Amino acid sequence: MTSRTIIRARNFVLLALAQVIIFSQIHLFGYATACIFTIFLLKLPRHTTQNEAIIWGFLFGIITDIFCNTPGIHSAAATAMAFSRKYILAAFTHKGLPDDFIPGVKSLKWGGYIVYAAICITMFYAVLFPLELFTVRHITTLLIGTISSTALTMLFAVVVEFFAPNK
Amino acid sequence: MRSILDILIKHNHWFLFLLLEGISIVLVVCFNNYQKATLFTSANSIAGNIYTAMTNVDSYFGLKDENEALINYNNALINEIEALKNRLRKYEDSTSIAVIEQTYHNDGFYYNTAKVVNNSINKINNFITIDKGLSQGVGDQMGVFNHQGVIGVTVTASDNFTVVMPLLNSRSIISCKVKDKALCTLKWDGSDTQRSYLIDLPRYELFESGDTVVTSGFSSMFPAGIPLGQIERLEDSADGQSYRAQVKLFVDFSNIDNVFVVGNNNREEQKLLEESIN
Repeated sequence: MTSRTIIRARNFVLLALAQVIIFSQIHLFGYATACIFTIFLLKLPRHTTQNEAIIWGFLFGIITDIFCNTPGIHSAAATAMAFSRKYILAAFTHKGLPDDFIPGVKSLKWGGYIVYAAICITMFYAVLFPLELFTVRHITTLLIGTISSTALTMLFAVVVEFFAPNK
Repeated sequence: MRSILDILIKHNHWFLFLLLEGISIVLVVCFNNYQKATLFTSANSIAGNIYTAMTNVDSYFGLKDENEALINYNNALINEIEALKNRLRKYEDSTSIAVIEQTYHNDGFYYNTAKVVNNSINKINNFITIDKGLSQGVGDQMGVFNHQGVIGVTVTASDNFTVVMPLLNSRSIISCKVKDKALCTLKWDGSDTQRSYLIDLPRYELFESGDTVVTSGFSSMFPAGIPLGQIERLEDSADGQSYRAQVKLFVDFSNIDNVFVVGNNNREEQKLLEESIN
């Protein structure tokens, strides 16, 4: 338990640094920005308590907010995603799985994991962009931003599965 | 009673969720009141210092271009000094220095240089962080420009860092004028990072593409005459009462390194006087 917490804390620091130093600075075609810390939330083990998941989400969000000058926006989106993760994951859980599995290609197979990740990440951006734009006037910007950012983050989620499917 | 308590304890994550989501929403709303958000923006010292370290590495790659731009700017300044010296010489013959000092009185503006440590251009509301703050005499509501033209206005400052709201922010409104013509307002529509719009241009005045837009000097944040951009295209406003002009901005916002921050010693006095009328 303790070693798991230490590994998670290490992953948290590394991902948060990578997010604010590299990924938040890259804006593909002016719209798509990857939030790779969502992958950390996606891969929390099934029996992670809701409280723990929500706190991880909020911490990631607030750190990204501080560095990106977007107070509250990433934290609101990440908290919402961390909260709904368990309910979305429940739809992909079947009897053959071990009790406390880590969501990934190994446990959910490619199809299951991609759909699970896509729903969670879309949920994240569907909260993030409306809060960031705070208006209904830029509906096309909102849609393009949500779709392209989800696709870009999904790409990283898939890459992570290729290189570290068991972690 | 007991069972209600049990349900509440069992679903305590709902309360945590609502609490954290509530905090986030409050932050988003406070964000409109940007001056108060120093802690949760890159104006705080930890974020600011990390960005400074990143910029120190990053700025080496642009040294050549930056040097060239500074040399050009220096050149322009030297020419201006020469022109002013010539003007001064004319007065020396006919009038006393006191008269000149009266004519060219100190208008209260003072300048600081700063380095950009963080900059965004891809959002609807972009912000820039610079490495000078309250300890170096930079505060909120001060103008920021570089050798190309106006960049924006400072909105919140900590001891060593300041966040600037650039022209590329949907909330930024700059009072300006078309050179030798009417006063107007510059407002960004959130799409093109090189173009902005002049609104409320009066119909009685004749504007042409190529006209230069400069600061009006009425806002107490900028001295008059700092360039902003050039009119590209003129069109009717939505209500047909005035013109709306597309302006090509002089500043390349994707590549800002060194900036000047301009403060105004007389700002408080001007503000108090103007408020006393209301």
